[in-house]
Amino acid sequence: MNRYQQVRHKLGLVAFVVAGWGSCGVVPRAAASTAAAVYQETCAACHGADGQGVAGAYEAAFDGELSVDQLASLIERTMPDGSPEDCVGDEAREVAEYVYRQFYSIEARRRRGLAPSGRVEVLRLTAGQHRNVVADLIGQFTTPPPESPFPWPSRGLVASYFQSDGMNKATERTLTRIDEQVDFDFQAGAPVDGIAAEQFSIVWRGSLQAPCTGAYEFRLRTQNGARLYFNKEGLYDERILRDDSSGSVGDPLVDAWVGSGALRESSARVFLLGGRSYPLRLEFFKYMDATASICLEWKPPHGAWSVLGGDDLTTGFVSKTFVTEAPFPADDRSAGYERGSTVSGEWLDAATAAALDAADEIAERFPRLTGIDKGAGEFAARLAATAFRRPLSGDERRRFMELASGDPGGRDAGVRRAVLMALMSPSFLYTELTSDGAPATQHGVASRLALALWDSLPDEPLRAAADQGLLETREQIEAQVQRMLADPRAHAKVREFFAQWLELDERDLSKDRTLFPEFDEAVIADLRRSVELFVEHVVWSDASDYRELLLADYLFLNSRLRRLYDRAEVVAGDEPDASAASGGDFELVRFDPDQQSGVLTHPYLLSALAYHNNTSPIHRGVFLTRNIVGRQLRPPPVAVAFRESEFDPHLTMREKVTRLTSDSACMACHSVINPLGFSLEHFDAVGRWRESENDRAIDARSTYPADDGVAVEIANARDVARYAVQSDSAHRSFVRRLFRHMVKQDPTAYSPELLETLRREFAADEFNIRNLIVKVALVSARFELTPSDQEGSPQ
Amino acid sequence: MNSPMSDRRQFLRHLGVGAAAFPFVAGLPSVRGDEQQVRSTPKRLVVVFTPNGTLPDEFWPQHFDGAAELELPPMLSALAPFRSQTLIVKGVNNEVRGDGDNHMRGMSCLLTATVLNPGNIQGGSDSPAGWASGISIDQEISNFFQSRDESRTRFGSLEFGVAVPNRADPWTRMCYAGDNQPIAPIDDPGRMFAKLYGGAASRRRVAGVLDGVRDDLRRVAGRLSPADRRLLDRHMQLVSELEKDIASAESQAALLHPEPEIDPEIELVNDNTPAISRMQIDMLVNALANDMARVASVQFMRSVGQARMNWLGIDEGHHGLSHEPDDNADAHDKLRRINAWFAGEVAYLAQCLAATPEPGERGGSLLDNTQIIWVNELGKGNSHTLVDLPLVLIGGGAGFQTGRAVDFQGTPHNRLWLALAHGLGHEGLAAFGTKDFCAGGPLPLA
Repeated sequence: MNRYQQVRHKLGLVAFVVAGWGSCGVVPRAAASTAAAVYQETCAACHGADGQGVAGAYEAAFDGELSVDQLASLIERTMPDGSPEDCVGDEAREVAEYVYRQFYSIEARRRRGLAPSGRVEVLRLTAGQHRNVVADLIGQFTTPPPESPFPWPSRGLVASYFQSDGMNKATERTLTRIDEQVDFDFQAGAPVDGIAAEQFSIVWRGSLQAPCTGAYEFRLRTQNGARLYFNKEGLYDERILRDDSSGSVGDPLVDAWVGSGALRESSARVFLLGGRSYPLRLEFFKYMDATASICLEWKPPHGAWSVLGGDDLTTGFVSKTFVTEAPFPADDRSAGYERGSTVSGEWLDAATAAALDAADEIAERFPRLTGIDKGAGEFAARLAATAFRRPLSGDERRRFMELASGDPGGRDAGVRRAVLMALMSPSFLYTELTSDGAPATQHGVASRLALALWDSLPDEPLRAAADQGLLETREQIEAQVQRMLADPRAHAKVREFFAQWLELDERDLSKDRTLFPEFDEAVIADLRRSVELFVEHVVWSDASDYRELLLADYLFLNSRLRRLYDRAEVVAGDEPDASAASGGDFELVRFDPDQQSGVLTHPYLLSALAYHNNTSPIHRGVFLTRNIVGRQLRPPPVAVAFRESEFDPHLTMREKVTRLTSDSACMACHSVINPLGFSLEHFDAVGRWRESENDRAIDARSTYPADDGVAVEIANARDVARYAVQSDSAHRSFVRRLFRHMVKQDPTAYSPELLETLRREFAADEFNIRNLIVKVALVSARFELTPSDQEGSPQ
Repeated sequence: MNSPMSDRRQFLRHLGVGAAAFPFVAGLPSVRGDEQQVRSTPKRLVVVFTPNGTLPDEFWPQHFDGAAELELPPMLSALAPFRSQTLIVKGVNNEVRGDGDNHMRGMSCLLTATVLNPGNIQGGSDSPAGWASGISIDQEISNFFQSRDESRTRFGSLEFGVAVPNRADPWTRMCYAGDNQPIAPIDDPGRMFAKLYGGAASRRRVAGVLDGVRDDLRRVAGRLSPADRRLLDRHMQLVSELEKDIASAESQAALLHPEPEIDPEIELVNDNTPAISRMQIDMLVNALANDMARVASVQFMRSVGQARMNWLGIDEGHHGLSHEPDDNADAHDKLRRINAWFAGEVAYLAQCLAATPEPGERGGSLLDNTQIIWVNELGKGNSHTLVDLPLVLIGGGAGFQTGRAVDFQGTPHNRLWLALAHGLGHEGLAAFGTKDFCAGGPLPLA
């Protein structure tokens, strides 16, 4: 790598492949007395007169995090391209100061609209926040569910077994117990003792917690009669719902009540919000059929079909969660994280549809809503205050009371109108509507905490604390944060963060089935579960140590995954038992530390970051560069496809990639990417350990040029992880990602030093992720910074 | 994260806003303008179901196929105004056998004319059964209409229910999209209203709060820095665009016939049945008048339905009464009043159709081009017979010769459905339901 390219790289202006490189030659140097003149004469031809970059030369604007000293050192060593000796010493220092001041510093980039604004911006709710807020808003007016005979959190479902008399007329309850899952083949017999085999019925009741937001599918398989009710009110009667009942329960999600003399499979799909529980009820009857069986399966997002069971299914009874199906457009991600920074026609349509949905839902549930007994006006005012996440002004209160109670169409029409008004109001749709610099009210604190930790609105206890002035001190707020962190909604949000950091949702893992016949959908779903289990194991452990994510020498494997990934010989007789087929038997499995290093060598990521038939050191290297060691890379301005067929088949993947990127232009970036990517060459395209490729020993060793100029020898993934866990830029990148995910603002919005302060405290706190989450929530809620020194800030 | 329905059209359909609404709107005569002229005269079908058999002695006229004018028995006197457009058909049997009791087969084989699947649902006798194994004639005809440009409508068919209990089994379903695919009638006028006119209601509600939203936006924007205000300014612009979209959708979707006034919050209880029946019929006629559909059905209760017709001064359940022996004069009187009431509802439907002019230059009324057929799952309640189904046809849709009664002396009802399909233009239909029962082809009714 020549010096010019090193600079490009240092400035974060690296590209994978750059066309027209040769046009950037040595710029003749005239006498110049000021740094500005030097810049214009010597640098502007490639970097642009305003530092904006020049097409065909150095294409991107300046961007990076080096100090002036570091910049000066870079210029001295590498600039101008081809003759760095022309600009050294004081002159290099002066040019560095000039570039820093004019183009490079965060303030300079902010002036030019190239960096985050440096203030807390007014943002609208993101699509995800919007759905959560509507769900929890209605949830706060929902009456509590009846008590379960087996209170939460027992796994499984409450099962009531009945003897029938005449088709599905359940007459006598014989047994109530917990069934961990519904997957029974009764054949010609009775389900339990004391019941005749000819006719019986069973009712299962409980709740399902959705681990993440997305589309869930449910499937019933039976040759008898069964129906699945899901996420409705009134699902907890013990007896079979009488056919001619009032009808308040409504239609089942899956209706397989009427048989056809054969085994039938019926399924349905439903969109659910993560971190919330949903009421579930399954009814079954056998009448005169020769045999009986019933199986309830599901397919969660990122999962494969399996029998519904596990930790997400509990015997607890819960209330309905309202989920709007309004078609929200994707949120802006141009800044690297989702945030509500734009409004569009599609968005307003969706927000309107969500408001209409919510009004319908409230009108339908009207008599059963809490607080409605105090009158439509009072109800509407309370609903608006909850939606706005603050008390109403006297004027607002009057308006909502009038809207709801003064409608000529009656109470229903009035409340619908008030709901629509509240959910289309900017006070609902936007966050941070207080004027700049105004001190945070306690309701503002509550609102920010709920958004940061749950992407939702304050719950009853949090709002009550704000009402009573109990969100004043740091201790009071922190106690709320700790309480909120235990809520499944916080876990769902944290899970989402790791899915983004590790890019879990971004790639197709399917592989060439002739090369990797075992690598099917079920394995991919298990791997996804495995990586989630690993992350959760680390994050919610006492130490909650970020370094463990990178350095752990273990994986969570079930028997299906063990057959593929366990490097120890599988002992005879270790065949998976029946429960293993559902993939529910994950265990912590340790490996040789030289062969296993946290997420870096997790087979999910190794498979995602690979071609369908071979490894991809480039994909793996880019991921490690950006996400693990925290260096910036620009996307390549010219895409060069890797075509395996163009290479001698006897070459190793490492040799092919080395040849493909051998051009000095490519090496500007690939000198960084390739060594990191090569460190994982011991893992094939599905993440299995291998000693050789094409009968040649794997060579995973190389030298990684770190961003401080030090050459780091790496022999395996663990060396990369070891480097990352002591690298400030890796820590900074992690903290920034987490902050943006939680707060939807850049840390610089709060202060230029905040990121550095959080990074130092993170390091000093043994890299405790949970404490970092607490700190981010506190900072965002109070706009308050912990004390910081100026050591690490830009000079 | 992707939204559950990333397709914006879904929302637009809901709200009836924008270009996406146009395919539906374009189906309306008011919009099609000149194009309407080239559309052939529409043909329509309305099936009315009432349960538990009839009273043969009160139902059948004295004379069949004579030159004399059709004589309506007193129980059917409500139909008198439409006598010349009425055709009573006797001697048509539901000959489908197999699993299920006669009520089940009466109901689920009525419009499908094919066997029930084996299953796990059992009534008082016979073997258990499941859903019907084929499509019903109304859906067959609707599919035919929907397959052709000149007869395609927004919904194709609409299934109305009146006091249908909330259960799904072979006694409660007569319409089938295909084998094992029952179609649930909508018996909640509020739900049907939302389906037919929901977009308009939502539009009005949204339009009603936009001024308030604008006030709020102004109030809030006033406190913000210029940079933050930009977002809210754009929002304000979008609110104005939404308002314009709503206004233009409102004019585009203007119905030829304004939607009927109904109380969408009516409680679905037995005692409200007469009011619900009229609401459903009003909406049905309005939907046909606005060409939202050309096939519709109204299902009163269900087979074995136990409606207690307090509004007729009858406290017993309908099905129970229908089991009483012929010599129970009280039950006989009550069943006569029940069936006379049903005849009155059919007459109300015919009257509404007759009172609505056929759109365009063609003249005549909707009834002239609409075939009403009133059906029942049994010939007689206390015998559970599937012989001599009580069948009354009113209107001109199928081009049958009316103002008479005809007795076919016992022939499978498959042939009646063939005649109906052919009369409504679906002449390519060679057989329907169980093939063996189609011998002889369509019943000669024209």
